[in-house]
Amino acid sequence: MTVKQFLKSKTFAALIVLVCIALVAGGLLAILNDLLAISEEDRILAAIEGIYGQKTSYTEINLPDNLKENEYGSVQNVYLLEDGNYLIKSTGINGYKNGTVTLWLVAEYADGSFVGLGKTAVAENTKQTLMGDFKASFFEIYASSNVLNDNYFSVETSSDTITNIKSGATKTSVAVNNAVNAALYMIRNNGGLL
Amino acid sequence: MNTQKFRKIASDGLLTNNPTFRLVLGTCPTLALTTSAFNGVGMGLAVTFILICSNVLISLLRKVIPNSVRIPAFVLIIATFVTIVRMVMEKFIPDLYSSLGVFLPLIVVNCIILGRAESFASKNDVLSSALDGLFTGLGFTVALTLMGTVREILGSGSFFGLALWDFKIAFFTSQAGAFFVYGIFIALFNAVYSYFERKQHRKTFLAEFDVLPASEKVKEG
Repeated sequence: MTVKQFLKSKTFAALIVLVCIALVAGGLLAILNDLLAISEEDRILAAIEGIYGQKTSYTEINLPDNLKENEYGSVQNVYLLEDGNYLIKSTGINGYKNGTVTLWLVAEYADGSFVGLGKTAVAENTKQTLMGDFKASFFEIYASSNVLNDNYFSVETSSDTITNIKSGATKTSVAVNNAVNAALYMIRNNGGLL
Repeated sequence: MNTQKFRKIASDGLLTNNPTFRLVLGTCPTLALTTSAFNGVGMGLAVTFILICSNVLISLLRKVIPNSVRIPAFVLIIATFVTIVRMVMEKFIPDLYSSLGVFLPLIVVNCIILGRAESFASKNDVLSSALDGLFTGLGFTVALTLMGTVREILGSGSFFGLALWDFKIAFFTSQAGAFFVYGIFIALFNAVYSYFERKQHRKTFLAEFDVLPASEKVKEG
């Protein structure tokens, strides 16, 4: 088949139609992405609103690199809120299919000292198909537990752990617990200060 | 469009060819997302919107899209609308967006949408295709909402997130519970459908018998 024959063939016409549809769709999505894109600032304000019921101002804290990664996962961002508490975005590893769960959580401070965890909200996850099944009662455990000792959250019950597990979603529970543990580890290894 | 065609499209989407209970399509989100009625409504409405939009566009382009590339073209169109729904949902309904999770992008390969594009929208006019999308989507939404309602009430003791009582049967929120509730609904839906279908056949038969000429009735008698 010569080039001329190919250009007049049905295959070429079909390709052109497909390319046209892809270009129009791509253009439309690019415009909408510009209009609907959620900035990092919007995400932070939405997380603050989700936890506090209203948007408040915040200041980002620069974390030293050695405090960002630990055995439970990583701490992405820390923000100082108006009321003196800190909003932490942390990711827990070892979830279902080695996926991760990222949480927003509040570290409550009184007179400059860490006094416990506050509300928690899910920011995002990878591969955790059962994430939608995690109800408020699961996350309330973090706020109601005493975390001023050296215990970390776990799906297994032992004397030095705080058990929190969602039945039927053990691996995802591990990732959620690890997200909280990553933040706790960071706080504890910084002398309780942020 | 005449009333008869409109009625047929409506009854096909909602009852005769109900995608969930009659055709058993879109089973994956049906089983995974119906742990609550809110999830059911959200997923159902998202699919309805995508069905209407993709059906309309595919119907408009049905004479332009060559037969040999129709499936990739349909997938491209459907994927575009799914991405738009994802963007809108993430921006304006973040709670529902996180609840639907991975099943939202997976609407691209939902066999209900691709099935209606292939079997209806690519062969019919725009208005009929839009109505087909609307009623098929509503049939899916109603089915998911019903299943979500039953599973949420029995499994979580709540209805659309509002606590009703402390009585809960965890089985209904599990995967096994999803299959159980789905099976019960399919059985009930088909039993009721068959009953009315038999009744309709009987009525049609009697109506035909009654219009026979008197001489024929005597001969038969």
